[in-house]
Amino acid sequence: MEKREKILLALFFLLLLLPPALSLFTSPAYWIRVLTSVLMLTSVTLAQNILLGYTGYPAFGAVAFFGTGGYATAVLMKDLSLPFWLSLPMGGLLSALLAVPVALSLMRLRSHYFAIATLALQLALMELVSNLEFTGGAYGVNLPIYRGPLGTLLFYYLFWTLALVTFLLNVYIDRSPFGYALKAVREDEVAAESAGVNTLLFKVLSFTLMAGITGTAGGVYAYWITYIDPASMFDPVLSVKIFVALLMGGVGTTVGPVVGAFFLELISEIVWSSFLELHGVLLGLLIVLTVLFAPKGFLGVRR
Amino acid sequence: MILFLQLIIESLLLGAFYAFMALGFSLIWGVLGILNLAYGSLIVAGAYGAYVLYSYGGVDPLVSIPLLFVCGFLLGSLLQRLLLNRIMFGEPFMVLIMTFGLDILISHLLNLGFGADIRSIDVPYAEGSFWIGSLIIPEVKLLIFLISLLLCGLLFSFLRWSWTGRAVRAVALDREGARLVGINPSRIFTLTAGIGTGIALCCGNLYGVLQGFTPFDGGLLTVKAFLISIVGGLGRVESALAGGIFLGFLEIFVSFYLGENWKLLASLAVMILFLILRPRGLFGGRYYGEA
Repeated sequence: MEKREKILLALFFLLLLLPPALSLFTSPAYWIRVLTSVLMLTSVTLAQNILLGYTGYPAFGAVAFFGTGGYATAVLMKDLSLPFWLSLPMGGLLSALLAVPVALSLMRLRSHYFAIATLALQLALMELVSNLEFTGGAYGVNLPIYRGPLGTLLFYYLFWTLALVTFLLNVYIDRSPFGYALKAVREDEVAAESAGVNTLLFKVLSFTLMAGITGTAGGVYAYWITYIDPASMFDPVLSVKIFVALLMGGVGTTVGPVVGAFFLELISEIVWSSFLELHGVLLGLLIVLTVLFAPKGFLGVRR
Repeated sequence: MILFLQLIIESLLLGAFYAFMALGFSLIWGVLGILNLAYGSLIVAGAYGAYVLYSYGGVDPLVSIPLLFVCGFLLGSLLQRLLLNRIMFGEPFMVLIMTFGLDILISHLLNLGFGADIRSIDVPYAEGSFWIGSLIIPEVKLLIFLISLLLCGLLFSFLRWSWTGRAVRAVALDREGARLVGINPSRIFTLTAGIGTGIALCCGNLYGVLQGFTPFDGGLLTVKAFLISIVGGLGRVESALAGGIFLGFLEIFVSFYLGENWKLLASLAVMILFLILRPRGLFGGRYYGEA
């Protein structure tokens, strides 16, 4: 492992101990909430990095799977009364299953055709759940509230685990034969194919991994906020935040997505909570400026 | 039968407006290879522009069409020069993120200035409707239909017969070839971005007369413009007309037979199918932006 990655792992373990340490000084509820959403963005950004960073396909509508996982978890808990620890993995699994046919049909498209097709899928799913009965239509679903001993810390630790696992997966992909195959697809698909890489298989695998992780994050998010509706689970703003976090940190690196997600989400929570009205304007400006001035990320792309 | 005819008329009236709406988007995409996700928000900005001119300046919406075109032309060329020229030759998804950022910026600026309430431009001379046999034709829709056709015709003549229009088409087909015959592509890019954005603002003017609007309508309009471009093919007026009328029929018939709720889902499903099966559109040829 590289030095940067070791430092990041050490920081991860500090985050594990942070909540009890915080509670010695202040009431940590606010900071726990902020850090939970930071860790959520970290996990979905790292998931997208597997696809965009290593395989070169920008799934602009990755939030389609976030919503699928969230809704699957919610409906399983509410209608079938399954416990959360069973619904969550099933939600993630369902997202991954949905990803297979989607990848098979959409990954024949290149660059912005692919990006827009996934975005259309996200909007189509949003419309679908707004029109179906069992997903609560436009009103959404109320989930049972978690009343266990951990309280909201449960979601902090769940996202912490998800972010850590996805980070380690990124580190593995960065330097394993599996990752080399993905990078070969990214650099030149035809060349990879003729060198004997089964490009279709690796594209589908990479897409499915991304979708499974994103779906699991959606499931945790649904239980965390306890009330979900189509607009919040399939939010296009989340899609673009994932990409901005990736750009800020550096696409196709292991440490970059984590740095980008932390930076973006901390900024948006802390600085902009004081300018509630200007929030959207500032977000838009930040996106434009990021693309313009930091196209290689703060850490620089290592390609 | 009468009902069926009525639905067809509604579809055609809506379709021509949609065709004009998508023209700017399709032109920018075909010539520059840029998918402008801020396009819908620019349309909405045009609607607010016409609203301000009408409510505070008393400028008739018909008069504000050329005014807004000029504003849009300047805005579009400026954005192209300052922002998009720097990134359009790099990774395609950078352009998507940049224009999405612009979309968020524009819609929230409008929200900041006007609030989220529905606004509308009510012109007194287009409030009624008249009958042909037992068919109803709302005057406002007919007016928008005629203006859309007229503006489509103007753009068609420009692209077809003027030297500048020919240069635009040449750049769309082959950038290197255009440079060989003495066309400067970067000037054409600025010009096309200007025309496209001008069309967006003009179209917003019509949109505001046609129906009420809020700052956040843009996303949906971008999706529609995209669908029309993908159905017909890029950068041609004829293709946009075909795509626009297709979307008009789809929306009117789905709304009538399945319900208003299924309209958007049906359009999105068709859009995904087109992307998978015929990404170059029904009669699209090869354009530079189409890989």
